[in-house]
Amino acid sequence: MSFLQALRYFFREALVNLVRGWKVSLLAVLTIAVSLAVGGAFLLVSRNLLASVERWRGEMRVVIYLQPETPAADVERLAGEAAGAPWIASVEAVSPEAARERFQASFPSLSDLVEGLGDEPLPASLEVSLKDPGRRPAELEAWIDGWRKRPEVSMVDDDREWLGQLETVVAIVRGVGLALAGGLLGAAIFTIASVIRLTAYLHHEEISVLRLVGATEFYIRGPFYAEGLLQGLIGGGVAGGLLFAAYTLLRLRAPGSLLTSILASRFLGGAELALIVLLGAAAGLIGAVVSLRRESL
Amino acid sequence: MIQFFQVSKRFPGGQTALDRVSFEIARGQFVFLTGPSGAGKTSLLRLIFREDVPSEGKILVNGRNVSSIPPSKIPYLRRTIGVVFQDFRLIARKTVFENVAYLPRILGVDLKSQKKLAYQALRRVGLAHRLNAFPPELSGGEQQRVAIARALINEPDILIADEPTGNLDPDLSWEILRLFLEVNLRGTTVLLATHDRDMIQRVGRRVITLEAGRLASDQELEGTDPPSIDPVPAELEREAESERTAAPAEEEKPADEEPG
Repeated sequence: MSFLQALRYFFREALVNLVRGWKVSLLAVLTIAVSLAVGGAFLLVSRNLLASVERWRGEMRVVIYLQPETPAADVERLAGEAAGAPWIASVEAVSPEAARERFQASFPSLSDLVEGLGDEPLPASLEVSLKDPGRRPAELEAWIDGWRKRPEVSMVDDDREWLGQLETVVAIVRGVGLALAGGLLGAAIFTIASVIRLTAYLHHEEISVLRLVGATEFYIRGPFYAEGLLQGLIGGGVAGGLLFAAYTLLRLRAPGSLLTSILASRFLGGAELALIVLLGAAAGLIGAVVSLRRESL
Repeated sequence: MIQFFQVSKRFPGGQTALDRVSFEIARGQFVFLTGPSGAGKTSLLRLIFREDVPSEGKILVNGRNVSSIPPSKIPYLRRTIGVVFQDFRLIARKTVFENVAYLPRILGVDLKSQKKLAYQALRRVGLAHRLNAFPPELSGGEQQRVAIARALINEPDILIADEPTGNLDPDLSWEILRLFLEVNLRGTTVLLATHDRDMIQRVGRRVITLEAGRLASDQELEGTDPPSIDPVPAELEREAESERTAAPAEEEKPADEEPG
């Protein structure tokens, strides 16, 4: 029997086994699909979060809040001083009046809070855009620290600090996702191994006849390996389908929401989907190999 | 063809199944292997087709030391030996054709040729008309004949039978025995284990007797009422010849070269 003939025989027998034992096969396929879908969901979320972080990083600024009642001339002088640093793209001086107007425009329902007060409630500030927001050279750190210590400054708000924290959160999400998916994949391998072992047990009479008439181990085990592989491939495909369904549902149900824009702005790429399906196939094959150790056939 | 040299088989618990057994069976012989239950008949047969290995001694089958055959080569040995059991070992959910055609399928023979070979093997045992039946639809005697057809499909050098009539009534047993004698007439070496002394007495032939794992006797018996087996008819000979020539290329290769 040629290798191609053998492969055709393996997959035909595997399909027959899958159809005949569809209930246990479905269990194996669903287990692997759920584990891969969970892993894929974490991948999707972390991927979209990272994309959001990158987008925010491009828009990131350092805001230097000045002491209340800083004279306008001092504000302009400080803005000029800030603009002299080499990593600064631009500096915009925001007067207390402009700050109040912005607040009222951004939060119309809260505009009463800042209306009718004698003095301007918000301090003047300097909004500093950086040339290369992704980089955090030590000089920039020192420059920001220098501003924090100045008597004219009440507070410095550096966007990069919370973006850094967000990156840590993304890394944690990814790590938890990987660990969870790994654990679930282990469970899926165990399930597939059990299903294959059950199938092999149901075929033990036929296996003994095959041995008796002179079938090789390759010929006897091949259909079971193919069965595990098919279960894994189908499970991986189902996981990809589940993820796409969840992604589409989220975009349809809440098209403009913050959650959608952060978590579901882009679906997984072809390579990532292929990886999920291949992981499923690998898990199926490992399950079959584990179940067909010599003593169990 | 089959040679045992001081062969012993002991199980891990210390029980001795065979104790320094030596004999030789020449090509084309018909030999009864007999003895009481537990004498070691089944253990001896299992050693021939490498289902088990001896604890001591050497077994040659077709000049090859079966104990030293690596596990990956065992299937090629088994393709030269047909084996029939008392319990038939047919797969109930497979048709008679599928049960008989296991070996051609393993060898990669195309479906049409598989059917032809299965038909020819079943014709030899008188069951060509039951090609599409399932084993549970057959009588015990018919099931055993299907098992014999499966063992014969590749024209094995040796046919081993372990109590093949143990589950059958006397008439059916006689019918099955006649089949083995016919197979032997066509040149296949037959080793048939049975504890049916009456059958042996009637048929005669060479009888190897085991007792408690030892070779108690090895003698030629004159049968008191041997069945009249016609010499191989010319038609059957021609058919056998056409089977050999019509078989696909894969069938004609030495079994050792088959990857399946």
